[in-house]
Amino acid sequence: MSQVRLQQVTKSFGGVSVIPPLDLVIADKEFVVLVGPSGCGKTTTLRMIAGLEQATSGEIRIGDRDVTALRPGLRNCSMVFQNYALYPHMTVAENIGYGMKVRGTTKAEIEKAVSEAARILNLGAYLNRKPNALSGGQRQRVAIGRAIVRQPDVFLFDEPLSNLDAKLRIEMRTEIKLLHRRLQTTIVYVTHDQVEAMTMADRVVVMNQGRIEQAADPITLYELPKNLFVAAFIGAPSMNFLEGSLEQSGTALEFRTADGVLVPIPPSRSGKLADAVGNPVVLGIRPEHTMTAVPSFPTIPVKVADVEPLGPHTLAIGTAGSAAFTAQVPAGSAIVHDDIINVPIDPEKMHFFLKSTGEAIGR
Amino acid sequence: MSVRALKGNGRWWALAGCLLWLAFTFFPLYWVAITSFKSPLGVVGGPTFIPFVDFEPSLSAWNELLSGQRGQFYNTFIASTIVGLSASLLATAIGSMAAYALVRFDFELKLLTALLFVIVAFGGYLIGYNLLGLRQGPSLVYAFVAALTLAVGSSRVRLPGPVLGNSDIVFWFVSQRMFPPIVAAFALFLMYTEIGKMGFKLVDTYIGLTFAYVAFSLPIVIWLMRDFFEALPVEVEEAAMVDNVPTWRIFFGIVLPMSKPGLIATFMITLAFVWNEFLFALFLTSSRWQTLPILVAGQNSQRGDEWWAISAAALVAIIPMVIMAGILSRLMRSGLLLGAIK
Repeated sequence: MSQVRLQQVTKSFGGVSVIPPLDLVIADKEFVVLVGPSGCGKTTTLRMIAGLEQATSGEIRIGDRDVTALRPGLRNCSMVFQNYALYPHMTVAENIGYGMKVRGTTKAEIEKAVSEAARILNLGAYLNRKPNALSGGQRQRVAIGRAIVRQPDVFLFDEPLSNLDAKLRIEMRTEIKLLHRRLQTTIVYVTHDQVEAMTMADRVVVMNQGRIEQAADPITLYELPKNLFVAAFIGAPSMNFLEGSLEQSGTALEFRTADGVLVPIPPSRSGKLADAVGNPVVLGIRPEHTMTAVPSFPTIPVKVADVEPLGPHTLAIGTAGSAAFTAQVPAGSAIVHDDIINVPIDPEKMHFFLKSTGEAIGR
Repeated sequence: MSVRALKGNGRWWALAGCLLWLAFTFFPLYWVAITSFKSPLGVVGGPTFIPFVDFEPSLSAWNELLSGQRGQFYNTFIASTIVGLSASLLATAIGSMAAYALVRFDFELKLLTALLFVIVAFGGYLIGYNLLGLRQGPSLVYAFVAALTLAVGSSRVRLPGPVLGNSDIVFWFVSQRMFPPIVAAFALFLMYTEIGKMGFKLVDTYIGLTFAYVAFSLPIVIWLMRDFFEALPVEVEEAAMVDNVPTWRIFFGIVLPMSKPGLIATFMITLAFVWNEFLFALFLTSSRWQTLPILVAGQNSQRGDEWWAISAAALVAIIPMVIMAGILSRLMRSGLLLGAIK
């Protein structure tokens, strides 16, 4: 059992509170990604689990041990850092085996563990090289190897792929996922890249200003964001937002912005939205849900400012009323800038948020 | 602009400038070297420049120096070597530990504690010496022990007033080198004689001289090593901490190897300081542990300006340092950190 449990954990540096009381339970063998903009407290949270930062108050448990006051070495975590943090004067093999050597493991055992790690990570050919003779991806694999031989309760990854180039990052993403499947160890992974979070995690924890905005599996985050922050953060290109209000129009509901954009709401959605009539709300629609032109779908006029042909589809970037709006249109559309196009909106994929609190409504 | 970018005449001017500078810096060394091979008559007879052409070289100065007619040459050379190497090694070792602590750990020192220490140390000494009739040595020891105990004790109590941090401590170290060394040398001599009266001889001993040099090298060592340690990526140490490597092993097994160029540079600077130091050696030694600078200076005063002898002695003082610098600078290659991060 290597469940990680944070109970009412807070952290302040000097007088500045960076983490208000935080509760988070990470299940045994779960792959959890902490994601959020820089300064949201995700790395601090990870470092508190590792013991590199002391929690100001609250309790951290790994398995059934209370580790809140333990020093990092006694928590049986392994950590992989963004900048690899290899020992530059040791070879790859020495780097991987150093922790074991210090703990007094026998030479034969170290050798066995190192070669096993090297086999898993394809480092066999480089065992006698120094880190400065390795590429970025290989260095990060050495760092992961150093973490594996520890046989930890929990793996902690602190933005491990941020220093790699885009192609290598995608490869390593898959490698770490496979590693998790093979080792069956709890992983806490910090990244600011929402694509990384979505592709790797069993569960994504979206953080903002030290708070957890939403913790859910990737698809739930994408389809049912709990609030404006999560909706804006998850998805690329990010969700379009129109500010306006819900109004009663005969028996039906409609959404209307101050500058005249009008979206009628189908009966299937209006039932749960009825409570919010008259309140200022924000309508959210992802660009990828503006592509299918079904006659019954409402449309929004968008004044195109720029066109980005991406291959599979094209992005039309412009404004709807006064709000910025990105629409995904079929590849090869004959749209040029300054056109005004009518963008269809999939009514089932619309999101509504209360403007006052940012909370999602109507689900 | 790089020298390589120069074209045509510019290159030759640059080369000429460099050669001129080379001649300028090398001439004194050359002059000392040839003077050491001149006979007394050759020195006083007017300037001569090229051996075998201008003058007939003679080994008389070297003979006199090496045969011991000019003071205990071998003894002095050995004393200088032993004191220089051991003092710089000790200072680099102790200073780098202190510097590492100052970089990686936060210290808090109450100003009141420091004031308490100073007041008790000085006041206690004055009371012991003037009122209680103790001799200087014992009253000094009692006062300092009392002051230290009180300071350590009071740091555990909540005291009002400002709290000093790591940068203040570093400033305090460096500030020890801000006053003229003669102030300290004189006080140190008095203190050593007093301790000598208590039966523990420090003047003209290995321990006394080495101790003084270590103490006076520490500020520079701490100041230099702090910069080197600050440049180290903290993640490497954090990785080791998470891996349950004990702190002393992190320091000796990871931090020190990573800062090898810095350690060597610092050792070299300390060695140069100790090797060339004159004032402390003059005060604190008399015969047995006299160092080379004293011997060189002595050549001048004993029998007038005998430049041939002074030159030979000066060369002996210079050459070991040139050799040391040559060997160590090869080890000081940069790029040792390459591969640790990014």
